[in-house]
Amino acid sequence: MNTIRNYLDNMFLGLPQTEEVTKAKMELLAMMEDKYNELKDSGKTENEAIGIVISEFGNLDELGETLGIKHALENKSDIPMITYEDARKYIEITKEATPKISLGILLCIISPVVLLLLLGLSELNMVRVKEEALIAIGLVALIASVAAGVSYIIRFSGKLEKYDYLKYDLFETDYKTEQMVRGILEEDEPIYRSAVSTSVILYILSALPVIVIPLVFETEGLSVLSVVITLFIVAFSTYNLISKSAVNGTCNILLQQGDYSLKRKSNKISRIVSSVYWCVIVAAYLGYSFTTYNWAMSWIIWPVAGILYGAISAIVDER
Amino acid sequence: MISSDVIRGYNDTMILYLLLNEPSYGYEISKRIRELTDEKYIMKETTLYSAFKRMESNGFIEAFSGSETNGKPRTYYKITDAGRSYYKEKCEEWEITREVIEKFIVKENFHEYN
Repeated sequence: MNTIRNYLDNMFLGLPQTEEVTKAKMELLAMMEDKYNELKDSGKTENEAIGIVISEFGNLDELGETLGIKHALENKSDIPMITYEDARKYIEITKEATPKISLGILLCIISPVVLLLLLGLSELNMVRVKEEALIAIGLVALIASVAAGVSYIIRFSGKLEKYDYLKYDLFETDYKTEQMVRGILEEDEPIYRSAVSTSVILYILSALPVIVIPLVFETEGLSVLSVVITLFIVAFSTYNLISKSAVNGTCNILLQQGDYSLKRKSNKISRIVSSVYWCVIVAAYLGYSFTTYNWAMSWIIWPVAGILYGAISAIVDER
Repeated sequence: MISSDVIRGYNDTMILYLLLNEPSYGYEISKRIRELTDEKYIMKETTLYSAFKRMESNGFIEAFSGSETNGKPRTYYKITDAGRSYYKEKCEEWEITREVIEKFIVKENFHEYN
């Protein structure tokens, strides 16, 4: 039954939601449901019934004049069609590229690890080398790690870039494609859910080493080493979250649901507001920090901006 | 399945015929058309709905909410007086159409058996 509803939703995709159109959709759905139920009662299988209902539905062009949406129907052909092959390829590339992108992010997060490790150990008098030399080695490792990470991120997000428009623009898919994507989404659901919960727990736990270790031991060197543990936990949970939630994200993009629903896509204001908002925040952060050198405090803008963003987008989405 | 221009011109006639005696709703009408024509003609949902809307705006039929099924009120259609006279016109038009066209139709087996 959902299949028929989705089919109809797809047919009406991008049409103006006038009262006539909504009514037409409801009544067509009622007719299709009646037919479907009777076919099922007469002993047809689910798939046979759906097949017959869809093949006998007709063509929406017939309704153009009567519903006053002739113009919209003609423009509808401008909406790009995402084929079965396109969708399959997009999911495949997602599966291939996101673990690499996540690895790049992981390398960036753990980049200061060598530096911190050497400083910590020297503090504990476990390595006897001049501090300047340790910092030099640490910085080289940091830069190398960031460089490797960034190059990974750029290289593999480039592969996904050509699908970016699917996040913002309306498109159409056919029934078979949608079924395929839905199947993958369903299969992926447990992986996605467990990844999200694991990562959330790890993020919370990641604060423990930096809090607990300095409390128990009062050695300076150990508190530096505790940061290393925290970084590893954060890096792992970020890697885990990004790499395992990617398929879910791609499926939602292809099904145009959740964050990528038709309603949100047609809300141009929210897109403009969000891009302007973040540009302003970044400018404010950099401007304030460079003029005052108060880097120790200025980072506070990020959590505040994040929460404020949630409030603003809730207001904008309501429109 | 038939999909000629001729039959398209008579979709309204078929629907009005089925409404002559009592009001009905979308699926029932499409089902009865299928049965009456021994499944030779299946009216697509979009065709049926656009015929409803067209005839409604011409004043041939009226829509009203009927009994609830699955929690949703079903839209029923009933024929109006204007609809009845339009139906009669279409019947007469068909008689003439048939007479005219038949003059030009060769009946394959006609010569063999007569």
